[in-house]
Amino acid sequence: MGFIDISRSKRSPGVQRNKSVEQFRAISSFGLAFDRVHLSRGGRRIFDALSLDLREQRVGLVGDNGSGKSTLLRLANGLLLPERGEVIVNGRCTKQARRELHADVGFVFQNPDHQIIFPTVGEEIAFGLIERGETAAVARRGAEDLLARQGCAGWIDRAIHELSEGQKQLVCILAILATEPTILLLDEPFSSLDLPTRLSLSARLARLPQQIVMASHDLDLLHDFDRVIWLENGQVKADGMPSEVLPDYRAHASAQGASMLESGAA
Amino acid sequence: MDSRAVARISLFAAMIAVLGLLPTFQLPVAGGVPITAQTLGVMLAGIVLGPRRGALAVLLLLFVVALGAPLLAGGRGGLGVFFAPSAGFLLGWVPGAFVTGVVMQRLAKAPVVAAALMAAIAGGILVVYGCGIVGLVIVAHMGALQAMLATAVFLPGDLMKAVAAAFLAKAAEQAYPAALGHRT
Amino acid sequence: MMGGYLSRTTWLHRLPAGLKLLMVAGMSVALLPVQDWRLLALWLAVVTGIYGTLGRDAVRRLCVLKPIVPLLVIIGGLQGLSTQWKDGASVVLRLLLMVLVADLVTMTTTMSALMDAVEPLFRLLRPLGVNSRKITLSVALVLRFIPVLLANWRAREEAWRARSRRRVPLRIVVLFLIETLRLADQVAEALDARGYGRAGRQP
Repeated sequence: MGFIDISRSKRSPGVQRNKSVEQFRAISSFGLAFDRVHLSRGGRRIFDALSLDLREQRVGLVGDNGSGKSTLLRLANGLLLPERGEVIVNGRCTKQARRELHADVGFVFQNPDHQIIFPTVGEEIAFGLIERGETAAVARRGAEDLLARQGCAGWIDRAIHELSEGQKQLVCILAILATEPTILLLDEPFSSLDLPTRLSLSARLARLPQQIVMASHDLDLLHDFDRVIWLENGQVKADGMPSEVLPDYRAHASAQGASMLESGAA
Repeated sequence: MDSRAVARISLFAAMIAVLGLLPTFQLPVAGGVPITAQTLGVMLAGIVLGPRRGALAVLLLLFVVALGAPLLAGGRGGLGVFFAPSAGFLLGWVPGAFVTGVVMQRLAKAPVVAAALMAAIAGGILVVYGCGIVGLVIVAHMGALQAMLATAVFLPGDLMKAVAAAFLAKAAEQAYPAALGHRT
Repeated sequence: MMGGYLSRTTWLHRLPAGLKLLMVAGMSVALLPVQDWRLLALWLAVVTGIYGTLGRDAVRRLCVLKPIVPLLVIIGGLQGLSTQWKDGASVVLRLLLMVLVADLVTMTTTMSALMDAVEPLFRLLRPLGVNSRKITLSVALVLRFIPVLLANWRAREEAWRARSRRRVPLRIVVLFLIETLRLADQVAEALDARGYGRAGRQP
């Protein structure tokens, strides 16, 4: 698919603050870029001149609750728009391309029950194709092919309510893959799943050609990502290889937990 | 009244409140017609919970609104709403939900969409508008005919809500047969 | 009408809830026969003055009237056309007055104070099957679950918007409705687990 394989380079990504929008556009014909993004919600300032250039294949987001991970992901697919600055996805600004982004940028949420809208697997997966304009027959065939490729042949007419949580989340992922997006955004997608299921779905994701940006509380799932960003209060606290960032975040979490215990906050 | 009934009534009341907090959504007719959701919730109360529980759910909601919670569409609430000109419509929700439920039960043998549509129109429109018009006559000293003309402007929207309620009832029954269990 | 409790403590806050409710009821009855628009206007001025004594937030709440103004204009206009403008004025003034007076109660009385005030009435209605503790529980459940249901709805709506640019279809509403009913069953289970209505003893 012609992805720029930055993932294998040891270049430290870092934060780029001084690039202009034109330069962002030139180098970011693939990937996600945040150019001096400002965003407030409910009177609270979330992001203040945030600039990030995400072109690695696998990018992880970690941070405490309220750090801005979910908001960042929602900026990336146009669910939220920045007040100032721009978010550029595959060379297009989210403000303009918002209505078309959904086919190219897939978003997987935490709770599969809130995402699945059809009673059978086949209908759910075909939905994206039908939205794109395919006929029902073509869409169904597309769904069947995808299921077969993913080793789930025969699932096409299975009822959603018979599936386990992990299977439902897999259906959510497949439903989004059906339109062949170039980017997958996942917001704590495996929180309610047991460990074997998490590992299995993680392995599936690892084999996908799309760029993946995933927010996760389960740090183990990010250990072989290309880049991990630690967000705190809407700012990048650390940004680098998982082997650098994750231990620091873990230490922070321990210390934080201990102080919460002492102060009676939790 | 067992815990199941209390829970269903309370949560349905909460749902009607939430429907009042939402922006409009679409009817799958003629390319999509936007409608607001709260009175739809009132129609559904009778259809889904039955006459008695549906009416209680609406009554509970109105009680909580009277206590001061801003749960009516537009963030309105408090005791004042019951003295406004539209108070008749508001109070009419209770018998409206009841009649909706009664019609739904009486038409148990009929197909769900038709029954729900009749129920929604009978309770959600005829009864509610009736009470609303009486309210306008008493509180606002309007003539009955004037009151009817004044409220007629809302009729198309409410008819569409009745249609939406019918579709919703059908879809709910398909997805969760126990949803309309009180009919059997 | 823009329901909302004023958290500052004013003189009106200190009056017992039951008394305030009785005053509202009393006023609504007493005002019914009053036709003289000047008397009503005077009362309206008094009530507006009372709003003033409650502080600036209270006065800002007066803009609560905005939604009903168009309807009041129509009512006043119709009345004015059919009879004298004075009758139209008195109808409109009475409406305004009652809405404002009722809202004074809402602004200066907590929900629990109002519930306590109404409880004797519920106890009187016990023979009709009214159970005041069940009502208290129900009110608590409503308030507890509105944010939960709202979050559920928002999550579904968001997931839809991430996949389609069309407006939210009825299908999503059905799923939301069913989720609510299922949640109710879980709540019932939780209530049972905590001893609601156990061993035949109705709370």
